[in-house]
Amino acid sequence: MTIAGKSFRWAVLGIFTAITLLPLLWLVMSSFKTQADIFANPFGLPSEWRFDNYGAALAAHPLHLYLRNSLGAALLATVLIVVASLMASYALLHRFRLSRATFGFLLFGILLPVNALMTPIFFIVNMMGVYNTVVGLGLVYAGLFFPLGFLIVKTYMDTTPAEIFEAARIDGAGFHSIFLRIAAPLTSPGAITAAIFLMITAFNELLFAAVLTKDTDAQTVQVGVRYFLTTYSANYPLAFAATVIGIAPTVVIYIILSDRIVAAMTAGSLK
Amino acid sequence: MTTTTPGIPPSVAVVAEPAATALAPRRPARRTGQRLGILLYLLPALALVTLFLAVPTLVVIGLSGTEWAGIGVPQWIGLDNYTRLFGDPAFLKAIGNTLLWVLVGVVIHTPLCILVALVIARRPRGWKVFRTVLFLPNIISATSLALLWYFVFHVSLGLLNSALKLVGLESLTRNWLFDPTTALGVTMTPWVVYIGFGMVLFLTQISTIPQEYYEAAQLDGASTLRQDWSITIPLIRRAIALQVLFVVGYALRSFEYPFIMTSGGPADSSITLSLYIYRQMLTANQYGLAMAAGVVTLVIGIVLTAATFWVLRRTER
Repeated sequence: MTIAGKSFRWAVLGIFTAITLLPLLWLVMSSFKTQADIFANPFGLPSEWRFDNYGAALAAHPLHLYLRNSLGAALLATVLIVVASLMASYALLHRFRLSRATFGFLLFGILLPVNALMTPIFFIVNMMGVYNTVVGLGLVYAGLFFPLGFLIVKTYMDTTPAEIFEAARIDGAGFHSIFLRIAAPLTSPGAITAAIFLMITAFNELLFAAVLTKDTDAQTVQVGVRYFLTTYSANYPLAFAATVIGIAPTVVIYIILSDRIVAAMTAGSLK
Repeated sequence: MTTTTPGIPPSVAVVAEPAATALAPRRPARRTGQRLGILLYLLPALALVTLFLAVPTLVVIGLSGTEWAGIGVPQWIGLDNYTRLFGDPAFLKAIGNTLLWVLVGVVIHTPLCILVALVIARRPRGWKVFRTVLFLPNIISATSLALLWYFVFHVSLGLLNSALKLVGLESLTRNWLFDPTTALGVTMTPWVVYIGFGMVLFLTQISTIPQEYYEAAQLDGASTLRQDWSITIPLIRRAIALQVLFVVGYALRSFEYPFIMTSGGPADSSITLSLYIYRQMLTANQYGLAMAAGVVTLVIGIVLTAATFWVLRRTER
């Protein structure tokens, strides 16, 4: 390996690491500064650490309600998708007329730009009477993200050796008990991978959350964080602190579980 | 939809194949009880997909030919919405910008992902840390990251302008977010920030290439660059096709960054299709028009997806 090649390699890694980390560091530093300090001293450490920026940000908008709504919708969608995927994957282990067509139908939409469907979904949610509810948002996420979760779960269940099912059948296990006692438990690693992916995806969603909610009954963190921009156009430290609050939880979880999450986020895309 | 198209890459085709025969009884589902069970187990999944994907797709097509303000009965007006759309400069701008998103995603973003993947695949010191760090933005909410980058490009307190001043390039500072020449480029920040996703995709495929290929090439005196070019790149073309599909999907869904950083402005210079639909729907209450714009988005998606498969099939020969 030539010296030029080596330095090029490190330059590539260095540049992209800097693009990823420097803005985050700058954001965290700025969130502890005073307004004047942000302008006078953009790069250094805060000349005076203002921890109360965080308290003020939390007091300014009901972030805890937004968080409750986000977690509720994401959790509902994740549970629905994982359960529905496990059941459907099990059903599709049996061959029947239309099994291929059913499979195609369930994956229909995996390549669809779903934002194009925001208008009809808005009306369907209204007709169901679940506009501006956590349940409504959770249901929509469950529908939109179903193909992604299903793909992960089904790919995993299909790797279960057929002999295991055969043996259970010979031992007299019925259709339901094979699912409950064998197929579903053996697929749990795949189900967990799907659940991680779905929780992160649903938690971070903005467009449908903005379209399908109107107040703190159902608005999510993603919708709420934006209010700091309009309300505090003149009070940047608070807006910085609010952004940090929006980023911190997932980053902490990521630091703990990074390998698992990287695998989950790209699962199902490549075999 | 495309999942049943012939000639799709095995990475996707794997799912399209009827791999699921593990439980296939010798005489298929002969017992009525079992047939009922199968149906029962499919119901939740069928309900979700029908209600939130299939029905909306039919509705968006059907109502795209109507004039509707959200109340009363939609009035059938045929193709008028489409005539209006294509006469609206903002819509044409949205199409142009979205296609530009695709172009930048394919021509700049994807090669950057490949470049980083090639570097990390050689396992330099600390490669795991780099992989973890570069993937990080993909798990942070796009809203928060868009806010962060909004601050980075901010005219008075932004990191970018401060940095330019620091190194004496004051002449280059500008109001990035509100300058019509830079607004669109600035909202495409995700193409630089999210390289970690494509990188992991390529790393996964690179890890399946047998090490012997590289050893043989080394014996023949091929340089690292030559090995990457002649061995790795051709062998990851399916991952490249998959990445292009992701790029197309992301471009057609691009909403958060323009919405938060510029609101599509100034003068619609950074508007995208998603943002246009959102605006017609929630600001103008033009639901029929919004649905027609949705149909155009779907059609563009289908055409670009089909084109990706077509190109892949040609390179497979």
